[in-house]
Amino acid sequence: MRLLSLFLAIFLIGSLTLSAQTGEHVVVTGGPALRFMEHGKDASHDFYWFNFIDASTIWLKQIKSTAPAGDLVTWLVYKPSYVSRSQELGMDLLPQIVQKAHELGVNLLWFEDKEQLINYLNQGQDRDKMKIVSFDYFGHSNKACFLFDYSNRIDTMSIAYLHVIDLKHIHGHDFARDAVCKSWGCHSGEMYSKWWKDEFGVPMTGAIGKTDFSHGGLPALSDANCRWSE
Amino acid sequence: MIRLRVPALLLLVLAACFAGAVSARAQMAADTSLTAPPVAPPLKQGSPLWHLTYDVKLVQPTPGYREGETGGTDFFIGHRGIDNEGGQGWGWLRKSTDDWGDGKWIALQETPGVAVAPWRKLTTRNGDADWEFKMWGHYASYKAYDPHLDELLPVFVLQGYQVIGVTAPLRGMRVGAPNRPQSRSSGASSRSSNPIPSGQGID
Repeated sequence: MRLLSLFLAIFLIGSLTLSAQTGEHVVVTGGPALRFMEHGKDASHDFYWFNFIDASTIWLKQIKSTAPAGDLVTWLVYKPSYVSRSQELGMDLLPQIVQKAHELGVNLLWFEDKEQLINYLNQGQDRDKMKIVSFDYFGHSNKACFLFDYSNRIDTMSIAYLHVIDLKHIHGHDFARDAVCKSWGCHSGEMYSKWWKDEFGVPMTGAIGKTDFSHGGLPALSDANCRWSE
Repeated sequence: MIRLRVPALLLLVLAACFAGAVSARAQMAADTSLTAPPVAPPLKQGSPLWHLTYDVKLVQPTPGYREGETGGTDFFIGHRGIDNEGGQGWGWLRKSTDDWGDGKWIALQETPGVAVAPWRKLTTRNGDADWEFKMWGHYASYKAYDPHLDELLPVFVLQGYQVIGVTAPLRGMRVGAPNRPQSRSSGASSRSSNPIPSGQGID
């Protein structure tokens, strides 16, 4: 019995030590379409320029309030789409995003292509010591891709994306073994989640069907036929 | 009895830690803080979006009409095509000195404020099918990903165009990316079971 007590005590101390280690919470946010590109479509996207930003900030606020002290919270935002949407709106959106990050107390990093994003995930921190403990994506997506750019440079298409075949460039070593990952975009649960789990060994929750960012706040599943899956 | 309590207590503490961690994430997802999105500022008169919204639309292009930078002698010929599989490519493009055997199915990158797709002036998106245009611009260094069909297309950056006129459909030209399967789904595509084009109000 003493041996059992000793074992449990060691296990408990080990668990507490592990939970005391700092980890990184990563939130990735894609960009909005241009209204010029979406004008007149039956399914017209991104009437509101900050639909993904607002959802991200709500989530970041919740992470900040629940993450252990010392954890790093990093917000990666795809910049080019916000630059062009700013030009279309006649209102500079970038300082507003910087201000939101400042108010939240999170580290804001802009990225302009998938290579920069991948480089940060792999090399942005010492991944031997600083594992990614949570990962969340807000933005356009289909089942095979995170679409950081969508209908912004080219109507209904993307020039910046993270396809499932790109996942092999991200090291599984970057993630904690119990990392919690979620895509809040459309259709990720239909394919992306499986590739993610296969590549990194950690599950990623994704939607079967569509998600709806149009009402403000965190996105909801679009209808009763949709569901979350891993 | 006392000896039995120690491991039981330790187990209880461990279980509580685990349950707390799980419930924290679940609770986070429940908080959504719904707020109404703000209203966009009024359109600036004369902006590309203003023209798109308020200009009178035509049924078909006007032969001879020019838009953008059309002064150079180095231009392309574009033949507007429609992708019946739902892809969003614009049509075929070839250099003015080539024949259609060298044509490529392209994605058209518009330059709002300079030159935009000819169909933007029409009542329907497909109203210029099989029309041909002289086109000025260049190929981009990157490709466009079409999320409807999970394929990559070369990108032509449009700087100007002149309407030539309507022609017969091009025979023997393949629609879509060169590697598009002609009789089966690519597997990674979203079209097979869950088409991506989304409903009204979906982001």
